[in-house]
Amino acid sequence: MQLMKEFIKGIISENPVFRLMLGLCPVLATSTSVNNAIGMGLAVIFVLFCSNVIVSLIRNWVPAKIRIPIYISIIATFVTIVDLTMAGYFPELHKSLGLFIPLIVVNCIILGRAEAFAGKHSVFSSIIDALGMGTGFTIALTAIATFREILGNGTWLGIPVLRTHFEPVLLMILSPGAFFTIGLLIGFLNWLEHYRKIHHS
Amino acid sequence: MEIKMLLIISVSAIFVSNFVLHRFLGLCPYIGVSKNLDSALGMGMAVIFVMSIASAVTWIIYYYFLVTSPMNFIARWFHIDPPDLTFLRTIAFILVIATLVQFVEMVIQKLSPGLYRSLGIYLPLITTNCAVLGVSILNIDKNYNFIQSLVNGFMSGIGFTLALILMAGLREKLDLANVPKAMRGTPIAFIMAGCMALAFLGFSGLKIG
Amino acid sequence: MKEILKYALILMTVTLIASGALALVNSLTAPKIEAQKQKELQQGLSNVLCNVDYGIIEKQQLNGHVYYTGYADKDTSQLSGYAFSAYGLGYSSTIWILVGIDTAGFITGINILDQKETPGLGARCTEIKSGEKNPWWVEQFRNKNAKTISVVKDGGTIESITGATITSRAITNAISEKSKILLQQLNNQG
Repeated sequence: MQLMKEFIKGIISENPVFRLMLGLCPVLATSTSVNNAIGMGLAVIFVLFCSNVIVSLIRNWVPAKIRIPIYISIIATFVTIVDLTMAGYFPELHKSLGLFIPLIVVNCIILGRAEAFAGKHSVFSSIIDALGMGTGFTIALTAIATFREILGNGTWLGIPVLRTHFEPVLLMILSPGAFFTIGLLIGFLNWLEHYRKIHHS
Repeated sequence: MEIKMLLIISVSAIFVSNFVLHRFLGLCPYIGVSKNLDSALGMGMAVIFVMSIASAVTWIIYYYFLVTSPMNFIARWFHIDPPDLTFLRTIAFILVIATLVQFVEMVIQKLSPGLYRSLGIYLPLITTNCAVLGVSILNIDKNYNFIQSLVNGFMSGIGFTLALILMAGLREKLDLANVPKAMRGTPIAFIMAGCMALAFLGFSGLKIG
Repeated sequence: MKEILKYALILMTVTLIASGALALVNSLTAPKIEAQKQKELQQGLSNVLCNVDYGIIEKQQLNGHVYYTGYADKDTSQLSGYAFSAYGLGYSSTIWILVGIDTAGFITGINILDQKETPGLGARCTEIKSGEKNPWWVEQFRNKNAKTISVVKDGGTIESITGATITSRAITNAISEKSKILLQQLNNQG
């Protein structure tokens, strides 16, 4: 039960994107299509999982003063592993995510979780935390990508969903579309939260 | 030719491919530190400073230590064939940037306490600002030479600061506006950023030369 | 002082382990990445030199210009065409193109290798209509003289992509300029 709570927290109450406002750069940049969004999400889950495990394993031996450079080295190692593997096995995805693969290193979610959670908790709860946060990130990313791809390109995951005479709204694929989508989505979630509170009391 | 290229890089870094509004780099400080003009200006200056130095240092690291070239220092010092260490790019760059930020902080603190007071609190935040690592990697990806990398770093910093200051100016006025409750704070900041990105899209029609 | 040494040692160990792990992963993935690149190039080359599917493609170099020669059959006496890469500055990116021409200088095929143009406008230069094999826009280049092509707005015959004249012009001019240089060099050579 406790574990379930730990997992769910990353998806809803502490969603890294919609609630904590962390890791925004890749969210906006790679949400042009659902395909990219899922690829990016999986890459982040992998890095978050591995770094949380290692950081949690060595948490008792790391001197507090130099913990940040050690965490950064660990994260950068896993990011490079993802980078190289993706270039070898999924070249298309690697090309379209481009710059944002190495930039996972500076994604605040990963260093943030290492510092705030994995450095203080057991391996097992760190794994749950990583999975929860990673899933929350992927869901947020996919949600934004869904709006952008359907409205901007008329497709979802490459499958045409809108009828052919629908003229795609180019703007949604371009940068302003990303800002509008995330702004409106956060606004909507705020409104939902507010509405729920009124009904509960 | 060189001057023209530098001009193209500058205009593109500031307006056409603005770091925040077009490339989506450095969004966390963009949304986080844009609540008032003074802190936006401080953050902007710190970013310009670190991005310029980081561009130069990472360029040297990459071309003199990581790639197999005749210039490779490892090869020259140890008299061996230059090893191809490009797979260490990400880890080398981020560690260099983290060290650099610490170093810059210490130097500023010693040399100019006044400047330190105004920039100091922003410097530690810069390590995890993806704009700095982003510009270093972009310089390599685009095959820029040393001067071009330096100019790109500096001008991208200016572009970041421009977007940040414009945003801070708008948000100061926004405090007085009547915004729907659910949209207050970050959501409306995003919507405004969208409008700004829309305006900046107009620059992409610019053609030099 | 002693503390600093201890920290330095710890950090060094960590980075050494990290580099070791990465070297291992790199040695595992490097052949795969190289193979991917080769495959992409080979596919592109046989795509643009459409009549050499079963022939041989060789890499050549002439005064610093890299190009590829394609032979119609297994023997290398029957030259069927050349392929070369060209690049042009588009609207928002550098566009890399692989071009195939026959011995008379007429285009046999074009492959756009890399571009980051505006999605929905310039990026449509690589758009493939469902059921077709090649992007529709670059199909019009086929069988045109590589040295003289230009877009309609410049008095030529290449139809621009709607709303993306700059992209279209960049690609067209890149091809004509590079082929002029290369054919000149080849003529000088013999």
